[in-house]
Amino acid sequence: MTQIFTVTELNQRIADRLENDPRLHDLWARGEVSNYIHHRSGHRYFTIKDQGSSISCVLFRGSGLSLNFELKDGKNVMVFGDVAVYRPQGRVQLVARALRQDEGLGFRHLQLEALKKKLAAEGLFSQERKRPLPLYPERIGIVTSPQGAALRDVLRTLGTYPAGVILSPAQVQGEGAEESVAAAIAALRGRADVIVVCRGGGSTEDLWCFNSEIVARAIFACDVPVISAVGHETDVTIADFVADVRAATPTAAAKLAVPDVEQIKEDLRSAQVRIVRALWTALERKEERLEYLQQNISAKRMYSLARDARQRLDYLSQSLDAAQGRKMSDLKGRLEVAEGRLLAVGPLATLKRGYAIARTGKGLILQSHDAQPGEEIELIVWKGKLRCRVLECSDDGE
Amino acid sequence: MKKDGMGLEEALDSLEEIVQLLEEGKMTLEESLDLYEKGMTLVKLCNARLESAQKRIECLTGELPPDLS
Repeated sequence: MTQIFTVTELNQRIADRLENDPRLHDLWARGEVSNYIHHRSGHRYFTIKDQGSSISCVLFRGSGLSLNFELKDGKNVMVFGDVAVYRPQGRVQLVARALRQDEGLGFRHLQLEALKKKLAAEGLFSQERKRPLPLYPERIGIVTSPQGAALRDVLRTLGTYPAGVILSPAQVQGEGAEESVAAAIAALRGRADVIVVCRGGGSTEDLWCFNSEIVARAIFACDVPVISAVGHETDVTIADFVADVRAATPTAAAKLAVPDVEQIKEDLRSAQVRIVRALWTALERKEERLEYLQQNISAKRMYSLARDARQRLDYLSQSLDAAQGRKMSDLKGRLEVAEGRLLAVGPLATLKRGYAIARTGKGLILQSHDAQPGEEIELIVWKGKLRCRVLECSDDGE
Repeated sequence: MKKDGMGLEEALDSLEEIVQLLEEGKMTLEESLDLYEKGMTLVKLCNARLESAQKRIECLTGELPPDLS
């Protein structure tokens, strides 16, 4: 008859079996330390591993007191202890009672250092090679897992900045991750202005693919600048060394990738203010007003622009804060004065009183000999123009 | 994927140039008016670009996760 266990009973049974096996007591195991955590309770948690496998270890505070070397990731150790089952998770672990240093750093760590040296010698990390990020990218490539939180962080941070986002999905951990990430980077060739390569936090193993040569070379071969953001602030991978810019987190990477939209809007407002102010200065310049009268250029357009400028100031002073708004309304007042003065001396006011401006192709007609009999001249009246022919030219008083 | 007409970067650059030219004040009035009009058009264009920010997300391989598409 099949027995049905509760999970607790099952784990209890496994624990009984393993913990009572004398072959799993008082044993030595050798491997490389990773994911080392010295908990504030004083207990130390880590994993030891070789190329094929890994097992969780715990060194309780009491047993850790006799530790005579610094435990850290990458260190090769010999662990003396007993196999036990951590019942809440049904996890098999090695409860260490003593730790001995194995000579040298872990194999994988040595490999990593060798790869770093090799790539550095080839110039993959060189500062001169780092390219500046585009200021206003129109296409942002993202290499990451479509399911990951990193992608959501990046998209949220990109905010309303108007750019196309091209996701190049990659498997960012586990078997085949290196090839997947490298291929996803290569797939963005010619499609993006900047590329963000990212993944969220994880164990050293989880992030390991970003330490691979193939990913490093894919980043190096990119046609546009690459921002890397792998894991948390303290995780630095080879990908970070090769990338044009390293960001501490995916969120930070997204901030680096695009400009601040609010800042641009602020700049636009200030550009408008400066333009209006400059126009007002130009309107106020007397000698230019005279020149303007002589040339008789489109007066109406000028007045309408001056009115337009005033309205813009109205609008801008509403959208700016109070202090700036006051400055703006002051500016507006001066602009109104300038506009009024311009109107007073401008041709429109004069023409409205029944005067006309006469001119030929050569310029204004101020004296009778400025035109010849039979010549075609132009008369500008308040509304519209007349084309006329001269019948006779005579001086004053004749 | 290149947008039609002037991109944001180009528009912002031209705008900055126009503001500087205007502020130098070496223009004739007519030229200033031209620049003013151009400048305001650029401001409008930039704002429109920023407002039209319907973020477009595409996926090179496979489908976008449902929460993103």
